[in-house]
Amino acid sequence: MRPWLGWAIKLGLVGLVVLAVFAVYLDAVVQEKFSGKRWTVPAKVYARPLELFVGQKLAKDDFLKELDALGYRRESTVAGPGGVSVAGNTIELHSRGFQFYESTEPSQRVRVRFSGDYVAGLTQAGGGNLAVARLEPLLIGGLYPAHQEDRVLIKLEQVPPYLVETLVAIEDREFFNHFGVSPKGIARAVWINATAGQLRQGGSTLTQQLVKNFYLTNERTLVRKATEAMMAVLLELHYDKKDILEAYLNEVFLGQDGQRAVHGFGLASQYFFSQPLSELKLDQVALLVGMVKGPTYYNPRRNPERALERRNLVLDVLAAQGVASVEEVDAAKQKPLGITRRGSLADSSFPAFLDLVKRQLREDYQEQDLTEEGLRIFTSFDPIMQLKAESALAGTLKRLSGRKGVDQVEAGMVVTSPESGEVQAIIGSRQPRFAGFNRALDAVRPIGSLIKPAIYLTALERPSQYTLTSLLEDQPFSIKGQDGQVWRPQNYDRKAHGTIYLYQGLVNSYNLSTAKLGLEIGVPEVLKTLNRLGVEQEWPAYPSMLLGAGGLSPMSVASMYQTLANGGFNTPLRGIRAVLTAEGEPLKRYPYQIQQRFDSGAIYLLQNAMQRTMSEGTGRSVYSQLPRSLALAGKTGTSNDSRDSWFAGFSQDVLAVVWLGRDDNGPTPLTGATGALQVWTDFMRQADPLPLDMPVPDNVVLAWVDASSGQGTDPSCPNAVQMPYIRGSQPVAGPACGIQAPVNEVMDWVRGWLD
Amino acid sequence: MNKWLIPAVTVSLVLAGCSSVPRGSIPVVEGGTAVAGAQSGTPGSYGAPVTQPQALPEDSGVVVMVPGGGSSAPIQSFPATNAPLDTGTTSQPWSASAPATSQGGYVAPAPSGIPSGGLAMDEQLDGPVLALLTTAQQQQGGGDLNGAASSLERAQRIAPREPQVLYKLAEVRLAQGDAAQAEQFARRGLSYASGRPALQASLWNLIAQARERQGDAAGAAQAREQARVNL
Repeated sequence: MRPWLGWAIKLGLVGLVVLAVFAVYLDAVVQEKFSGKRWTVPAKVYARPLELFVGQKLAKDDFLKELDALGYRRESTVAGPGGVSVAGNTIELHSRGFQFYESTEPSQRVRVRFSGDYVAGLTQAGGGNLAVARLEPLLIGGLYPAHQEDRVLIKLEQVPPYLVETLVAIEDREFFNHFGVSPKGIARAVWINATAGQLRQGGSTLTQQLVKNFYLTNERTLVRKATEAMMAVLLELHYDKKDILEAYLNEVFLGQDGQRAVHGFGLASQYFFSQPLSELKLDQVALLVGMVKGPTYYNPRRNPERALERRNLVLDVLAAQGVASVEEVDAAKQKPLGITRRGSLADSSFPAFLDLVKRQLREDYQEQDLTEEGLRIFTSFDPIMQLKAESALAGTLKRLSGRKGVDQVEAGMVVTSPESGEVQAIIGSRQPRFAGFNRALDAVRPIGSLIKPAIYLTALERPSQYTLTSLLEDQPFSIKGQDGQVWRPQNYDRKAHGTIYLYQGLVNSYNLSTAKLGLEIGVPEVLKTLNRLGVEQEWPAYPSMLLGAGGLSPMSVASMYQTLANGGFNTPLRGIRAVLTAEGEPLKRYPYQIQQRFDSGAIYLLQNAMQRTMSEGTGRSVYSQLPRSLALAGKTGTSNDSRDSWFAGFSQDVLAVVWLGRDDNGPTPLTGATGALQVWTDFMRQADPLPLDMPVPDNVVLAWVDASSGQGTDPSCPNAVQMPYIRGSQPVAGPACGIQAPVNEVMDWVRGWLD
Repeated sequence: MNKWLIPAVTVSLVLAGCSSVPRGSIPVVEGGTAVAGAQSGTPGSYGAPVTQPQALPEDSGVVVMVPGGGSSAPIQSFPATNAPLDTGTTSQPWSASAPATSQGGYVAPAPSGIPSGGLAMDEQLDGPVLALLTTAQQQQGGGDLNGAASSLERAQRIAPREPQVLYKLAEVRLAQGDAAQAEQFARRGLSYASGRPALQASLWNLIAQARERQGDAAGAAQAREQARVNL
């Protein structure tokens, strides 16, 4: 008897020591992870904030679309941040406020009055005029680490009413009274498991659930259960209930979004309601808390009936426990689930734009910084423009789908603001929601006639040799290249057009006259111009380059045309404006940079010719859909056998490049004009841009010339057209024709109207 | 460091100057008439008609900003347009003015906050741009050049063709030590400053400073010469 007892005591002591050592170890584990940085948070990428000011071009519908995406609630009278009420042309809202790079935008009540597609009034709720206000920016994505966990960290103070009460009522009634484990809960679990003969229910407290998610794997064994209980007790020893609750709220798993795990109530609120957590109402709180039990089973997007049932059950419990009144619960139960639709602006992903952002960020940051530090990335992404581009592409491809081969056509598109060099929208595929080959950035395809403006610009930079009305010969010719091969360019219509004005070669995209002009100037000179325009590729100086044999991505084309659109000032295209740390400290800015690469006079002349391309040349179909008063400039491009259909063009405030073609480089039924231009036109129709209006540079004069002879003439003469020239290169003005002066003036006036 | 003091002092000087000078005595530049006249004289069959809003919104007392030049440039008081006197606005140059539109009927919107019509209106800055330039000025005064640049870029996005914004942007770039970009922005400003000789002179002076910083004495002298010509 005695030796047995002795052994037992000894063994017990050893066991206790082992247990104590284990406890000390666990304690270290618990403290180490809890006191340090508890979570890694992916960088968050934001769209541009929508600016509001009087005179701003903004359609009311677009504005409401943006508000919907930001999760604003439609209310009859605005009750608080995130609320909006619409009355005719006046929209009142309470913005949420946001920390930007250079300043903090306050949360405020704002009244916006619309007139047509413009903001006509902007006032504060008090009635005072407001010069300018910003909405908070739309969150468009994150940069996730390999394990794909995402979070929007919240503090306990940001939690909406009822959340804590509901959570405690449903998951752990004794939370504020127990010391980490709940004997009552365990007893109940043991009873249920014993009667069922298997492990069915855990008596987990919130603390234990946190420990399980935070420190342990997902296996269900008794040893793990015991470890979990010990750690829970240890956690409670070191930290107060508030800390534990806050950690729980941020840790709990609430859903799976494809590859991305949705952790914490902060992100879940964004993910399911597109609203910040603090704005959630009782019914929404009940739904999220109800989902803790089975995030997949009760997923309200996939299983709405189950989720609704569960939510109402949670609400009933609240009423039964007196957390909320019966009236409140009844009202909450009447509400629909209120989950945002996937695929609407709020829940869309914009993989092509995010791809651009990631590439730009990787030049400046370590991968780890991007995926773990919770950086806030402010971009120039314009969701309204993006959706218009997507709709233009989808609509046009649908309209063209009758043509054989259009089904295999892929697409890439880039939209920028020529006046700031910012990228506003990108499409990388005809199915813009799917991440994958980003054609806007990576499809390097022959640009065809898109190169021609570079040739004409090179010529127009030499006003003593070339003007818009210099004569060119559009005749067949052939030259022998250095490799001995004979190059024999042809026009698209296989015809020669004889003697033409220089600008007509560009406007009608004639290959013969353009190639001849390029050879006169010299291929290396043209390539130099391309480099100055912003094209980085180094191409061999073959004559075929003059007709666009060299390949560029839509993004590079945008960069090239940007310089043409912005008065000859080159600017590196940017997608990122600034980066803030997780705490809101400014980290890095990506400033607007410009460099004058061309004389503004030469650019003015070229823009004039490119406007004629739209009004009378290869791009003229644009005005079957858009008003003539909308001055636009652009160029079509088609590579051999219509393998690539391009269009690049701009208004005063919007530049867009569209490419259509097949991934396998096969022929398509589309030319630049019948394919890409159609997408571009539809996009511009929706984007409703400002007409191109470049100020006349000091060295440019407008002179009257006879349209048929190209000689200087007088505005009183028939056939007189006005053309811009670099000062000194204009033809000598001709004498006035026939009629007396006063009448001439009337004629001018009439002509002005007619044209 | 007294570098940041210069703009601050200049601003206070300008503020003081504006508050003490009777409105009528501010020199007025009639930059609009000549150019507007030239434009209205081009009704011909020019291939790409550029439409301009016929009716400009009637403007009530828009206060014109004075580019507070943080520089030794000879011209410091930038001429303001003669603001209508009926509004009774204060003489504080930074007060964001209320465009006429708040009084009901909205006429001919001025897109992007910048009138695309006659140049006469260009001299006047409206609400958002004025407010942002004020913010930028405060940030610059407080030594937050990055913040100032960021606010100015915001203004530039709203009014991309307003040379006064480009002028300020150039000025901040210069203060940030990026003389090359300062020159570029001043040049961009010049392309939109046609018919505004005083502003042109300021821009040329800024270019001169930027060139000096880049060690281009000859270029700087040339720019100063341009500044004099334009005055």
